[in-house]
Amino acid sequence: MSQKTATKRPVQRSEMSKAQWTWKEIKRNKTAYFMVAPFMILFIIFTVFPVVLSMVLSLTDFNMLQLPHWLGTENFSRLFLDDEIFILACKNTLIFAAITGPVSYLLSLIIAWFINELPPKIRAAVTPIFYAPSISGQVYLIWKTLFSSDSYGWVNATLMDLGFISTPVLWFEDADYVMGLCIVVALWTSLGTAFLAFIAGFQTIDRSMYEAAAVDGIKNRWQELWYITLPTMRPQMMFGAVLSITQSFGFGAIVTALCGFPSVDYAAHTIMNHLDDYGGSRYEIGYASAIAVVLFVVMITCNIVIKRALSKVGE
Amino acid sequence: MRKTVFQRISAFLLAVLLMFGVTVNVSADDSDGAVDFDSISKLLDADSYSVYKQTISNIINENLSDVVINYQMSDAKTVYDTFSKEEWSSWEGMTEELAKESVYLSSKDLGNTTVTWQFNLTSEQAGRYYIKIEYYSCNTSESSISSIERKLYIDNEIPFSEASYITLTKYWTFNYSQNEEENTHASEKPVNTTVRYETKKGDDAGYYKLVEKTYADGYVYTEKYKISQDINGNSMAPEMVQVPLWQDYYCSDSTGYTNENFQFYFTGTSHTITLEAQKEPVVIRNITLVPAPRTMEETPLKSYDDLLKEYADAGYTQASGNSVYEIQAEFPNFVSDSSIYASSDNSSSANYPIDASAQLYNVIGKNSYGTSGQWAAYTFTVNETGLHKIAMRYKQSALEGMYICRTIKLSGGHYGDIPVVPFAEAYNTRFDYNKSWQSKYIGDGINEFQFYFEAGVEYTIYVEVGLGSLASLISEVNDSLNLINECYLKILQYTGNDPDKYRNYRFEAVMPEVLYHFQNEAIHLTDISARFEQLCGTKGSHIVTLDNVARLINEMGAENGLKIAEDLSNLKSYLGTLGTWVNNSKTSSMVLDSINIVGSQATEDALPRANDNFFVSAWFEIKSFVYSFLTDYDEMGLTQIPDENTPSIEVWLALGRDQSQIWRSLIDSQGSYTDSTGIAVNLKLVTAGTLLPSILADKGPDVYMGLASADVINYAIRDAIIGISGNDKNNTEAENAVFTTPNEYVASVTGTANGVFSEVVNDQTFTAAAMNTITIPSKSVDGNSYVNVTYGIPMTMTFNMMFYRSDVLARIGASIPNTWDDVLALLPVLQANNMEVGLDYASSINVMIYQMGGSMWKYTDDPAYAGSRIGLDENVALEAFEYVCRLYTDYSFPVTYDAANRFRTGEMPLVIGGYTATYNQLTVYATEIEGLWGFSRIPGYDRDGDGVPENRDTIGDVTATVMLHGCSDYNAAWEFMVWQTSSEIQSTYGNRMVALIGPSAKYETANINAISGLSWTASEYAAIMGQVEHLSSITNYPGSYIIARYVKFAFLAAYNNSEDPIDAISNYISAINSEISRKRQEFGLNTLENDSDYPGLQG
Repeated sequence: MSQKTATKRPVQRSEMSKAQWTWKEIKRNKTAYFMVAPFMILFIIFTVFPVVLSMVLSLTDFNMLQLPHWLGTENFSRLFLDDEIFILACKNTLIFAAITGPVSYLLSLIIAWFINELPPKIRAAVTPIFYAPSISGQVYLIWKTLFSSDSYGWVNATLMDLGFISTPVLWFEDADYVMGLCIVVALWTSLGTAFLAFIAGFQTIDRSMYEAAAVDGIKNRWQELWYITLPTMRPQMMFGAVLSITQSFGFGAIVTALCGFPSVDYAAHTIMNHLDDYGGSRYEIGYASAIAVVLFVVMITCNIVIKRALSKVGE
Repeated sequence: MRKTVFQRISAFLLAVLLMFGVTVNVSADDSDGAVDFDSISKLLDADSYSVYKQTISNIINENLSDVVINYQMSDAKTVYDTFSKEEWSSWEGMTEELAKESVYLSSKDLGNTTVTWQFNLTSEQAGRYYIKIEYYSCNTSESSISSIERKLYIDNEIPFSEASYITLTKYWTFNYSQNEEENTHASEKPVNTTVRYETKKGDDAGYYKLVEKTYADGYVYTEKYKISQDINGNSMAPEMVQVPLWQDYYCSDSTGYTNENFQFYFTGTSHTITLEAQKEPVVIRNITLVPAPRTMEETPLKSYDDLLKEYADAGYTQASGNSVYEIQAEFPNFVSDSSIYASSDNSSSANYPIDASAQLYNVIGKNSYGTSGQWAAYTFTVNETGLHKIAMRYKQSALEGMYICRTIKLSGGHYGDIPVVPFAEAYNTRFDYNKSWQSKYIGDGINEFQFYFEAGVEYTIYVEVGLGSLASLISEVNDSLNLINECYLKILQYTGNDPDKYRNYRFEAVMPEVLYHFQNEAIHLTDISARFEQLCGTKGSHIVTLDNVARLINEMGAENGLKIAEDLSNLKSYLGTLGTWVNNSKTSSMVLDSINIVGSQATEDALPRANDNFFVSAWFEIKSFVYSFLTDYDEMGLTQIPDENTPSIEVWLALGRDQSQIWRSLIDSQGSYTDSTGIAVNLKLVTAGTLLPSILADKGPDVYMGLASADVINYAIRDAIIGISGNDKNNTEAENAVFTTPNEYVASVTGTANGVFSEVVNDQTFTAAAMNTITIPSKSVDGNSYVNVTYGIPMTMTFNMMFYRSDVLARIGASIPNTWDDVLALLPVLQANNMEVGLDYASSINVMIYQMGGSMWKYTDDPAYAGSRIGLDENVALEAFEYVCRLYTDYSFPVTYDAANRFRTGEMPLVIGGYTATYNQLTVYATEIEGLWGFSRIPGYDRDGDGVPENRDTIGDVTATVMLHGCSDYNAAWEFMVWQTSSEIQSTYGNRMVALIGPSAKYETANINAISGLSWTASEYAAIMGQVEHLSSITNYPGSYIIARYVKFAFLAAYNNSEDPIDAISNYISAINSEISRKRQEFGLNTLENDSDYPGLQG
């Protein structure tokens, strides 16, 4: 300890208010704050502010062109009590989320685990194959070609050839098929960032832990996976889970691209589509904001639940 | 099995009924849109010129002389009778005498479109003749930018297929002459002529061509030509003007397949020559029969070798290398087509002039200068008498491994006034393929051509596009393509579009000729490919296409056609490829930088530099790259920096860059908006969707061009757009006053009395249907009542028309359906041939509601309640909906289809689609069926079954030019809107689009008067106007977005789940109505909880 600090009595936390203490801490760590500033400023302007703004707008009748009027909770009561299509959209979104979320998550995990077992060179070649659909942008439109409603469409032509059908089926315009097809396409494109995170996670595991575990009496690969592999990569799993949830709740663009807008009889209408409908074609930004707020709350809740569930891994 | 008498009779009756059902042939109710299939069949069967030529080849001409045929005025009128004296006397070169003896051939409705000349020949006069037409390319209200096109009939028959496309060119010139004084020595020959090109900066900035003529007495006269520049030094297009001119035309092949003029055989009796209008009006003084050479083998042209010998005999010597006249190709004196103009090419630093920071005009032919018969002409004068060579610097990189041809024609001096081809080989002036620029003395690949010019004489060189030595080969490929396509359709009719590859169709027994053709054409195409290779010296990728097609059809023709089923879909795509191949080969485009006339003694060193060395070009590229960051593209075309004091308005448009530049040049051109009002226009090209956030941020424009009708209403009911019909509560008093007070400028643009809204926008310029889509009720100024307010002036208008394949329909013996019953009657025949009708269900439902007499909205007569209830639950609308659903469920119309592709192959000979969208697509995409299709009004609904439709409306939709609230200068904005949508500007814009982009850029103007000024053919124009008279539209009342959605749901429920159509649509009526009411509440409009609330229904 130097002379200077020794003469000065350290300030105690109890001697000052919370604000003072925070300010003091900020000054002390100002380099860190300075370094995080560029990101935080952008984050606040482009993420936090819009979220807050949309919460405020959800209480108004803003229509993009005229000054908004205050409505209070009218939008929300209309949303839950007087909008059948919103309820339908919620149902569809939950079905999507319930199927594509966990399935794509498990799929990512299992495929990543399998791929991890491959020799490095083959692994390097196989990874992009699984990852490709999600990075190639709108490549899911290939499904539109496959399941084209035209009698020259691949599936239609094949089925007509084989004699199963005599007139072309309007795959993406038939309420019986749209939901199923959209789920399949969603799963196909879902091996995205989460999948890569898993692969990276598997790579970071210290091999010596397996050796130690073997000495300690691990009996099989399942126990290895459950007690060592998965707990070690909990951060990646968390990351993947959050992504999966966001993805499956934010599902909507693919529906529009494949089935048109809106999908026939709202059969695959999700909350995101509903939001587009009010925000885009009806210019009811206030109402659309209310939908967005609901979606936001649902997502946050789901994330918390997932976080809890993941903390049980390996226990 | 025993049949009862009743069964037999009913079966017989049924059979008879079916027969009639199939062959029902309804006569068209009136002339427009009706197509004479007899003539199409005749045309399809007509021989080509090469066959016609064979039949007359043994006729020997003896002692024939010119036969001049003057018109005996009976059915058509002279210029003198058609136009007033003020009109024709303003035409240059038209005298009273000429006006009285020349006949006016109208293209639309100023007179007769079909004109016949009658004449008698004695038996001594019988023989082979050329037909020469002396014509005047007049400029009347019917004129547009197209060339003049006529169909030629001899004795009421088309003599051979090429005669249906007789093309007479117009002369176009540019306004770049800057000569202040007269040349006092114009009649003398200058002793010395020099030409300089320079770019000036500063006050008179521009790119100049200066021709200095020195005369014997020392007088020097300088001709000045200028291409002006904008504030950033970019060249600006000089105005293009059509020069009305008396010209002679020899009937020849406009496709370019035949180089020589057509010969016609006339017997010694009475004959008629008939010209039927296709495009553009023309004045014809007389037609002359000019005797052809004695035998068919003789040609009127000398060969190059003979000419050289003649020159040598006459003692002509080679001019020295000092005799040079440099022509920069960007300064043509005349061009044949308004689509040929100078442009900027910075692809090589050796182009002259060049500037890395600006776009200077330095070449010609970048856009379109590749169709047979198009030419650019340049005048020049040499200083030394003698033989000269012509050096050209050019880039021909379009067709890999192929060369292209140009025809060199000359006029002036001993060549005479009419441009002539000096020797036969000049047709084959050859330009080889190379990726980079080339600089060569022109020739036919064997000789470098030399031409004789005299000092001081002004000559004109015409560089005309032709197919030259490749003509016959390309024409053979074209014939081959037609034959294979015919075979394809035959197979298609027999097997359907998806043949079973495991089935033996026994083609060898059913259609042995197809197998024969396949094998024959395979050999033929391989042979053509070999000949191409021989001519070009190399086998580029372009030619390999032919081998690929040959391989496929050879395979299909072998083994009794066992492979046909498997390869049929391949053949379909190969046919498309081959069609594109023919089209590409015919468009022989190249970019031309300079043409130098050089004395023959000059060596290769005298050639202009083809390309700069690596370092020079690299440095230029780097400079251009850096400058690309510094250029403000919004300023493109600005001639002066707008200062604070001049009034200006901001105009946005969300079209393409080409469109934006055309508007910029229209606004700035002489006598146009800015010039005559003094109001600067700040034109900005924005992406669609920018308008909404900009209004929100209060940074919006004053005027927005081309806003979709649904958006117009969306923005209007939210108080963002000014109601331009006045009396709108949301407008300020000052705003309302603009549209109701006299406005001199607007009156001068529209020709109406005082330029108020009600006179600017009237029935003569815009259809009621167009206005309907952008007009909705709004509170009137006093706030007590509702009035209909219009929120913009229509700019474009789209609607559906029916496109048909005339060859396919003619072959199956069908006529163009006039009613929906006709369509249904035609179906069995089509389906028996594996053909379909292309019809979009969503638009058909709307169309059918209006054709049956229904309406999408109720209470439209009452502005207070208009748009508060949907009209879909009325009986007539339900009937219409059911009718359309049945077309798909009972008659198996395809719901999803690729219209252009199936129309092209002939599987879908009837397609109903947007008239410009479909037209433009077919024009570029399906060039091989050019001339085999047309379009007419859509079928009408015939309630009483008499074969005459009561209603044949289609639904029109518009985009509009609107003025936004917060506009800085209402008067200026209003003047701009009226100017921009006026007839003259709309047709000029449409024509510039075609000139810039090509025939596939037809513009769908909403201004009905402007349509006649666009480059449609006479019959196309008649068809369009026929449909324009029958238009309905659906107003976008608040909440109307919901209708299309639920109608689609109802249709799909009926189609997918076989629900009863009426039940299906009825399920959605209340949902639609409640959404509409909710939306109306949002805007404080009157709503109806149920229909009995409607005041009109009470008491």
